[in-house]
This record gives sequence, C-alpha cells and structure tokens, in this order.
Amino acid sequence: MTAAAGVLKPPAAPAGAVRRCPAGIRLTWLHLRTRRVPAGILALAVCGALLHAALHWHWGFNSGPYAQQAPMIIEAGAAAVIAATAHSPFGETERSAGRWLPCLRLLAAIGLTGLAILALQLGAAGENLNDGIAVLARNVIGFTGLGLLCSLVTGGLLAWILPMGYMVFCQYALLEAWKAPWTWPVRPPADRGAWICASLVFAAGLLLFTLRGPRTRLSDDS
Amino acid sequence: MTVMSVPRPAWAPPRSARALRLEFKRNAVPYVLPLLAAVFYFDTLRTADGFPPVWTLRASAITNHMLFEFSVFAAGLGAWAGSREGRTKTVDLVAATPRAPWARRSIALAGALCWMLLAFLAGVAVLYIQTALQATWGGPPLWPVFAGAAGVTVVTVLGFTAGVLFPGRFTAPLVAIGVVLLDQVGFREALNVTGTGGASILPSPPTSATYALLSPANSPPLLDGGVYYHLAPDVSIVQVMFMGGIAVALFGVLGLMPGLRELGSAGGLRSLRAVFTRGDGWLSRAVAVLLVGCGIAASGTAFALAGTAQVDTVTGGWEIPALHSAASDQPVPAAPDCTFSSGFQVCVHPAFGFYLHNVAAALDPVAAQIAGLPGAPVRAQEVASVSGGQDVQSGISGNPPVFEFTAERVGTLFGEFYGYDPVVWPEEFQQGLLEAFLTGPSQYAGSAPNLLDPAQLVVADVLLTAVGSQPMHASNSGQPALKSGLATEIFAAAQRFARLSASARHAWLATHLTALRVGQITLAQIP
Repeated sequence: MTAAAGVLKPPAAPAGAVRRCPAGIRLTWLHLRTRRVPAGILALAVCGALLHAALHWHWGFNSGPYAQQAPMIIEAGAAAVIAATAHSPFGETERSAGRWLPCLRLLAAIGLTGLAILALQLGAAGENLNDGIAVLARNVIGFTGLGLLCSLVTGGLLAWILPMGYMVFCQYALLEAWKAPWTWPVRPPADRGAWICASLVFAAGLLLFTLRGPRTRLSDDS
Repeated sequence: MTVMSVPRPAWAPPRSARALRLEFKRNAVPYVLPLLAAVFYFDTLRTADGFPPVWTLRASAITNHMLFEFSVFAAGLGAWAGSREGRTKTVDLVAATPRAPWARRSIALAGALCWMLLAFLAGVAVLYIQTALQATWGGPPLWPVFAGAAGVTVVTVLGFTAGVLFPGRFTAPLVAIGVVLLDQVGFREALNVTGTGGASILPSPPTSATYALLSPANSPPLLDGGVYYHLAPDVSIVQVMFMGGIAVALFGVLGLMPGLRELGSAGGLRSLRAVFTRGDGWLSRAVAVLLVGCGIAASGTAFALAGTAQVDTVTGGWEIPALHSAASDQPVPAAPDCTFSSGFQVCVHPAFGFYLHNVAAALDPVAAQIAGLPGAPVRAQEVASVSGGQDVQSGISGNPPVFEFTAERVGTLFGEFYGYDPVVWPEEFQQGLLEAFLTGPSQYAGSAPNLLDPAQLVVADVLLTAVGSQPMHASNSGQPALKSGLATEIFAAAQRFARLSASARHAWLATHLTALRVGQITLAQIP
C-alpha cells in the first residue's frame, strides 16, 4: 500500500456509528420532525376520533343534504392540519442546503394525505358514513390540494384558511344542491367531474408545493 | 438623560392605545377579509336575498349563516393571535417587560376581536341596507345582531385562550373545526324543536330544548314572524347572556394564566398558597377571579333560564317566563295595504305590500268567475299565520264572506312563499280560493284544508281553465293522486262542463252549489 492509497482510503468508521441509521432515513426523519409531522399525525388521529364521535353520537344529520356537513368539516380540518405541516422553522436557509428538499416535501405531503384518509376511514369504521369512504377520500385530497396551494401564498401556518373557507362555502353549496364539478365536496361519489376537479387541485397543489415550497415570510413574521 | 427618562409629550396617546394601533396594523384578520367577503356574499347575502324582504326573516341570516362563517375565522385567527408569543418563542422575552401579561394579551385579543367585530358589523350593514331598499314595512331588528356579535366575541376569546394555552401550529385549525362542529350540533338540536315543515309550523313541546335554545343557529322564523306580533327577545337575551358569560369567564382565565402556569410547573398545595398570597399583582388576580365567577354565574343563569322556556300561547314562539314581557304579545298595529279592482278587494299586511299586486292579479279573474254565487267572497285578506297559539289555514269565513290566507299558507300550499314564482304563485292562489269556495265556509283555524271530491274538482278545473290557468287534476297540487279511470271520467266531465257558456255554467252553479259543497253531485250529474 502506498502512502497515497492510505490517504485516499476513507477512514474506518467509529464503532458507535455503525449502528446509526442510513443518512436518507435520518434526513427524512429530521425533515418530518421539523414540520411537526408526529404531532400532525396525532392531530389527524384526533380528527378521526372526532369523526367517529360525530357519527356515533349523531352530531350531524342522518340523511338528506345536511348529513354531509359534519364529515365535511372534519375532512377540511384534516386537510388544514396537513397544510400546517408545510411550515419550516428554517425558512430560506434550508432551501440552499440540499437538493432533496422537494422530494422530502412530496413524500411528507403524500404520506400525510394517505394517513389522513386512513385515520378518517378508521374513525368512520362501524358507523354510517353518508356517501361512503370514496367521498371522504375525494374531499380530503381536494381540501389538501387547496391547503398546499394556500401555503404558497400565506405560508404553512396560515394555510388552513383556504380549506376552511372553501368548506364554509361548500356548506352553502350543499344546501343549495350545486351541481358544478368544482364544488366536489357536495357531489355524489359517482360524479366523475368532481373527482377530476379534486384530483386536479390536489395535483396542482402537490406539484407547486413540491417545486416551490411554502412561503417562508408573511404569516410567519406576524 | 437616558431614553427611558425622556418625558412623554402631552399630546401623545396612551401606551395601550399605541399598542392597540400596532395590533390593528399587524393583525392577520385583514388578509382573510376578501375570503370572508366572498363566503359572506355566497352564503349569507344570497340566502337572505332568496327570502321575502321581511325584516325578521332577513335578519335570521345573521345567526343562521353569518355566524357560522365568521366562527371559523374568528376561532382560527383568535387562536393564531393567542399563540403568537409561544409560536415565535418570545415568552421569556416579553415576560421581562414591565407590562402585565394580562394587559399584553388583552391588547392582542382586542386587536383580533375588533377586526372581527368590525367585519361582522360591516356584513350586517350590507345585509340591512339591502333589506331596507326592498322592505315595505318595519325596521331592523337588533337582537339578532347582539346575538351574532356575542357569538363572534365568544368564539374569538375561546380561540385566543386555546392559542395561549396550546401555542402550536395545529391549534388554529383544530379550534376552528371544533367551533363549527359545536355550531352544527346546536343547529341540529335547534331543528329538532322547531317546525321545519310538514304538519306544524309551531315549535314542538320543549323536551330537551335547553341546548337547542342556546344555539344561535336555528331554522328561519315564520314568514310573518314579528309582523303581526312583536318577536319576543327572550331567547336572544338568554343566548347573549350565555355566550357573554363564557367570554367573560375565559377572559378571566387569561388573567389567571401566569398563576396557573406556576401551579402547573410546581404543583402542590404550598405553591397554590404561594400564588394566592403573593403580594404583586393581587388586584389583577382578584379581578380575574371575579370575572371568572361572574362569567360562570351569567352562563349558568342563562342555562337555567333556557330550561324554563315554553311555547307562547299567543304568538306561537318561545317565551321565558322570567324575561317575558306581556307587551310583546300585543298585536302590532298596521293598516293593511289594499287594492280594489274588478269589484274584488285584496288586502295584505304592509310588510307584504311587495306582492299585493301579484296576489290581486292572480285572484281577480277567479273572483270574477264566481262573483254573485252564494258564499262567493267579496274580499281577500291576509291574516296572521298563528292565532291563539294555533296554525291558521286559509279559507272563507264571515258575512260578507272573506277569503283569508296567511303568509305561510294558501289552500294546500304551505311554506313555499320564500320567493315570488310567477308560475306557481298565481295558480296556487287561484286554486286556494276555489278550494275554499267549493268546499264552503269552514272553521279554518287549526284544521287542515278540505280536499275536493271529483265533481268539485271538475268545476274547479273548468273555472281555472276559463281564466287561463292549469287545471288542478293536471297539476295535482295538494289533491290526492287520481286513478287512471277516475281521471278519464273527470276529464270527460270537465270537457262537457267547459262546453257550456259562461252564463250557463254560472246559472248551474247558482242552483247546485249547495249540493256540490256537501258532495251530493256526481260526475254524471255535471252537464
């Protein structure tokens, strides 16, 4: 072995570091922690429990147009929780630090959306959910798309505003029996246009959120 | 001389006013106002626009729609303002300032609350200006505004307190959905004890009505609620007291927050004693405890009062004996709006003057067809839809006969007068008049209208066709579905009767009307 080879060879890892998890997993875990994703999962579980309580104790109506109101409120709440996890405490500094950030954002958003649907589905298990689980999933992805889009303008901490505002509008659209596909939360599960609209909003929100990330000033400064 | 020792100029505003100005300037509510305005337009304004321009009815949109949409943002933004110190990690920094934490938080709360109340009152102003431009009688009711403002206040204070207690990023959305869920639960409870259609327009007996009456969200009142009788403010007073009490108690909790934090961190009876015997800030702690006590007392009293509510035997609304004023059971004096054309007078309450000419245009041709026949009305008069605590149906009564209808019912049509329908309205008024005429004078109060038998239906159809309206058996409005064989017979009899000249029909009716009314005429006997 030459002297040069000894220099170029990477030094042996310390004994304690061998058991450490791979860098990718650690990076992902750190990213999720900075976004308070574990607390967000807890908040989604609370939403699921709320949905269960609302259906079990009949907080809403059992049939008719009113029946969708309480589930819709909770679905929008779950989406608002996901949008709130968009906020990063590091702001612009983080963006200059690595190229994996968009992938991590994408992973977090998709994972949390899936978890939200799962949590709400578990909450509705054994109860009579009006319009079924398909509408629940459609509403969650649509509201989440709105939340992610809103985070581009307001920052993550105030990104709950748009999903909640749209939910309030949809309560009116529900009672007025609007049929436009862009009012997807009030449409029946078989409405293809509603699915397309919700999916488009989610895709647009996800794409822009992944590429650009949430706004790091405005709401976070106030 | 240091900066701290510079004397304040005489004209300078108080420090709290400057702090409040800064709060107004940096508050998040203005950013949400465009979204709130859009939701207000679609939900509140469009819904209210669908109601007839009657003040009480339009004002119900404040508590039923406006409060719901404002609650979401008031709770969320209240939590946002309340969580600021925790969110920005400045708790220790501001703790070193001479201003007391309660005063500091009060200013932050006032900033958010003033913005929300300002937006709320602006919305009310828009709603009331729109109504004032269309209403023909009455004035703006203030109790729904007070109840709505109390609702916005309590929700903002609730959100703010939650934000102070749990200053996390998820607090705002979770508080927002919690508040709107509470609103929904209250709305559902409220609908359970109010008539929303069907058999009765009156409230159900007050079983488990306490929660329902404390909910500001409710079904819209009767179309003529507050028109013939004053709308008793009993329930609104209780709601304001209940929500105001909660807000005051929560505000007191904010004042006790530093002590509670110390208790939470230290724990034990000794630290509790230390918190209460500490010399500094005892006055603010005493005031905070007093506020908590007063708030709980007010809410508890309101809750107890709501439990004593009963149905008003005069107006049919809710009354709370301890708060009820007998003056609100007195009829409101108003000279009816009347029109007199073609020998038939039509009168409505001035609050419904906007549809007087539509009603007259619908009734006049039918009244002309039956004029001169025994029991034919000489006048149509709108009356209160509740009398002596009972629903009032439409019908013909008195001498000379008068066709009476209500803002809720004409004939078998009920609860569909929320907007003028140029197709349905004239036909329903005409059918209502003919039904009442062909079934004869009746004691209409509290009893369902009579349905026409086949011979009466033939006569009604022919008279309706003669004035250019759709026959009843075709529209089937309010009448039971006919079997196909019977429908054919009715159609054939109607064709026969229609072939008679108007004078011949009139003469036949003059002779056979009494028998027709008691159901002694068969289809075969119709010429």
